[in-house]
Amino acid sequence: MWVQGEKRVLDAPRLRNDYYSNIMSWGINNILAVALGPELYLWNSEDQAVHKLLQVRGGNDWPTSVTWSEDASTLAVGYMCSNLQLWDVESSKLIRSLQGHSGRIASTAWNGHILTSGSRDKSIINHDVRAANSLASCIKRHADEVCGLKWSTEGNRLASGGNENLLYIWEASKMSSSKFLHRLSDHCAAVKALAWCPYQNNVLASGGGLSDGCIKIWNTEKGICINNIETKAQICGLEWNRHHKEILSGHGYSITENQNKLCLWRYPSMTKVGELGNHKSRIINLCQSPDGITVISAGADETLRFWDVFGPPTAGAGNSMVSDLQGLLSFRTSLLR
Amino acid sequence: MVFYSILYNRGVYPEESFAKVKKYGLPMLLTQDEGVKSFITNLTAQLSGKSVFVCDAFKSILITSSHSENEIVGKEWLEAGKLQRVVMVIMSKATNEVLERWNFSIETDSDVVEKGVSREKSDREIMREIQAIMRQIASSITYLPCLDEPCVFDVLAYTDTDVAVPFTWIESDPKLIANPQMVKLHSFDTKIHKVDTLVSYKNDEWDEQ
Repeated sequence: MWVQGEKRVLDAPRLRNDYYSNIMSWGINNILAVALGPELYLWNSEDQAVHKLLQVRGGNDWPTSVTWSEDASTLAVGYMCSNLQLWDVESSKLIRSLQGHSGRIASTAWNGHILTSGSRDKSIINHDVRAANSLASCIKRHADEVCGLKWSTEGNRLASGGNENLLYIWEASKMSSSKFLHRLSDHCAAVKALAWCPYQNNVLASGGGLSDGCIKIWNTEKGICINNIETKAQICGLEWNRHHKEILSGHGYSITENQNKLCLWRYPSMTKVGELGNHKSRIINLCQSPDGITVISAGADETLRFWDVFGPPTAGAGNSMVSDLQGLLSFRTSLLR
Repeated sequence: MVFYSILYNRGVYPEESFAKVKKYGLPMLLTQDEGVKSFITNLTAQLSGKSVFVCDAFKSILITSSHSENEIVGKEWLEAGKLQRVVMVIMSKATNEVLERWNFSIETDSDVVEKGVSREKSDREIMREIQAIMRQIASSITYLPCLDEPCVFDVLAYTDTDVAVPFTWIESDPKLIANPQMVKLHSFDTKIHKVDTLVSYKNDEWDEQ
């Protein structure tokens, strides 16, 4: 197994040590939006410029979820006090506030003009951001906080994970409190980490919290679990490698192994390719760059660490690639990928 | 989990309010009661500090029942070896009289805490010891007096005096039982901590004869 050093480390002071929040999002405009305590910053990955977008005053409210729309025209920010805001980042202006929830909004996901939010009030709301009355549907199915939300790439299915350990799969066209496609109860802890497979339609990866520590691969057509890996550590994020058939898991607490680490697994065999990890305490969030080469891990140690773990797009490249891969201990491993 | 197990087996909460979950090869019980759940969540999250309560294995048991993926910001009593004892008391709801007292004494291996030395012990071994304790608790119903009135419980934590106490905890009297009967259970021992368990209960009047 190889171990790679990180490409870059950014200080993230006041990053909240809260498993349930999803405070980081990297838009296709190459801007990373990250909430640190009551403030929200934008970091431009092209010129490394930093800009503060907003700050919540008062001390009892802060952003708990941050997600760029697919075209990066709008930034959705969900708050501890249940507010949901849409921001135009070009002009640094608040476009609108969306109502509906009565608890914090820790998870949000975009599907075109639909913004889906999951809350501690246990409900999922679909907002049509173009409409004056934005509330399209309110789904009350989860028995605890909705901490994971991900729309499939085609936008036909939504996966929602709850703190009651349940995973629901919904059809976009038939979403209602009583109409779900599948109710999956295999996990034994909160289901926050969700990621749809980029090379196989309707295949979803889910990760469980501390008492579970399992990555489960699902065929969401049939609602069956096709693979299960015990990582033995709390899973806070999952990211698929678009360039090679691999999946990366980010970890928090563990009583045995993989604590505070990132683990890379070959797909579909789910054998462990390697692990990365210099975080001094648990990893809270993961996100990947628009070009699919870099993954960022946000840690409770108040750092954002950048890992060029998914590249290069083409294996076996010539000398020009060597400088990019200098962190790797074993260059040969990447050729075999 | 040990706390849940005690509650069920001692009949403090009616059987229907518990959901059965299988872990560690023994049927474990999780309470459905919201009030109990939030109390225990807060408690175990507090005790867990950086997610360690007592020892690696015990930690996993309590974390599984805490229903939270987070730690509470507060002093890591346990990791610093400052938690000496955890006591669960079962009291009569009507009179507040202490009927039973479950005492878990914790001995921290100072070498491990201070010098980061790690002792060898397999997970299997640790699991076996936990199972032994669970079985002991379950079998305690055969010799402990019946609790035939509504009861409530409370948890006490004994720490070193120099520990900062999070605001959700209050100072308490030790809630001792006068003239108790006592039973010592198996102790269990992991890589960092050794836990001794002692149950004291109010003398059943019939015993006197």
